[in-house]
Amino acid sequence: MFCSSQPWIARGCNILLALLVLLLLGACAGAPSSAQATTPQATSSSSGNTTTGGASFPTAALQLRTPAFGDSGQIAPTVKVLASADPTLIIQFPLVPSGIKQKFPDATALVTVLQDTKANDFDVVTVDVQKMPPNVKFTVFFTEIAAKPFGHAEYVGDVFTRGDGSGESTFHLITFVAFAADARQSTVQSADQTGAASGIQLEHVGMWFDGVNSARQVLGNPTIPGTPFDGGHGALHAGPQAMTDGQTLPVI
Amino acid sequence: MRILQYTRRIVLSASCLILLFICIQASSATAAIAAPANQQMQVGHVQSNPEAARLLQLKQSGRLAKTVNVLSALPPTTILQFPLVPSGIKQKFPDATGLVTIVRGDRDNSTSDTVTIDVQKMPPNITFTIFFIEIAKKPFGHVEYVADLTTRGDGSGESIFNIISLVSFAMDARNPGTSQDDKEGLTSGTNLEHLGMWFSSLQDAQKVLNDETLKGTIFDGGNPPLHAGPQAMTDGQSAPVF
Repeated sequence: MFCSSQPWIARGCNILLALLVLLLLGACAGAPSSAQATTPQATSSSSGNTTTGGASFPTAALQLRTPAFGDSGQIAPTVKVLASADPTLIIQFPLVPSGIKQKFPDATALVTVLQDTKANDFDVVTVDVQKMPPNVKFTVFFTEIAAKPFGHAEYVGDVFTRGDGSGESTFHLITFVAFAADARQSTVQSADQTGAASGIQLEHVGMWFDGVNSARQVLGNPTIPGTPFDGGHGALHAGPQAMTDGQTLPVI
Repeated sequence: MRILQYTRRIVLSASCLILLFICIQASSATAAIAAPANQQMQVGHVQSNPEAARLLQLKQSGRLAKTVNVLSALPPTTILQFPLVPSGIKQKFPDATGLVTIVRGDRDNSTSDTVTIDVQKMPPNITFTIFFIEIAKKPFGHVEYVADLTTRGDGSGESIFNIISLVSFAMDARNPGTSQDDKEGLTSGTNLEHLGMWFSSLQDAQKVLNDETLKGTIFDGGNPPLHAGPQAMTDGQSAPVF
């Protein structure tokens, strides 16, 4: 009523309303928009970096190189050394069904090992599986030999499969120079990819049923004997090997 | 016409006020999410942790080393802490300390344990290897190489890795044998229930300890054999520490 009584007051009301709407829009947009408004203009340099007021951001992908990993004939042909950015070394290799081959012939596993060749405090191992027996726990071991009798072994972690038979686990541990040793026999040596090294090299990866009972159930065979491929819980309570790298030459 | 104008202004003003209200509510909600969890969570009642209670019993009966702290963690987690003390570096670095923290989630549903090692006042800028071992002192017995730790210039450092630790064991599957695990009973292979740190390089050890007569040991991986130095830190216990 008051606003409409005088034309100049009505105009003022309209301006106030517009200001209120602008204020609201600003408030709803929040801090990012105000930050963007105050961000200095970005400029590209010839070195492939974008400079924004002192900070420098890359505008191109890093140069990739394929690092050396063992000599020809010393590494299994299934191992793929990926072209990666310095200082990483990334290898990948498959696991194939062994003990579950008849019941789960399409089971697959991919092992990825990443190493920072400069820091090198430990390696990162990721195991991804598909089409495995569902809802089963498997143990992962580094072994001396891929096939029976497997030889020396190191228990590194577990993988749980989901209802669809998929699963994945990641471990952080020494991988490329993993070895087994009894320090009472310090003269024992074996060949590593880099030459002779202490102890017995563990250069293969396998997966075992965590429990012999689950193996018997999954494989429909009540006579399967227990194996030592799990820690704790009583001796020989683990089941048979499920997946293997299946190689004579080292994979790690 | 005027009535229409009034109505329009009232509707516009009301819309602006509603928008303003929504914005204020949204800001409050965002702030609440960003607030520390402990400000939002009610302190719950203390839950009993059977696994921690079992380990405490083992400690009281001497089947877990006295230096091990079993933390009162919420179930299903188990958290152990124990110190490392200088062994090979005792004369030159008597104040060196190491703290090992092992965190395990659910006993039967964890894919691995998380091991954190924090050291202080160690020889600076040196890489040490970390091993799980059968016996804390010489001859150490069966061993498993798990990680490295490189100290900073002030002698501090830390390493975090994910690996099976509370039920770690060594075995030759051709003849795995069994051993008594105080926590688990009879188990396959030889249990590795101690932890030690070694000089990764014999040359480093000779230089740091000013002793050219030190001999190489097996406590590092890769070429050449026996290129590692002596043990630097040990848990120093007869009873298992994990």
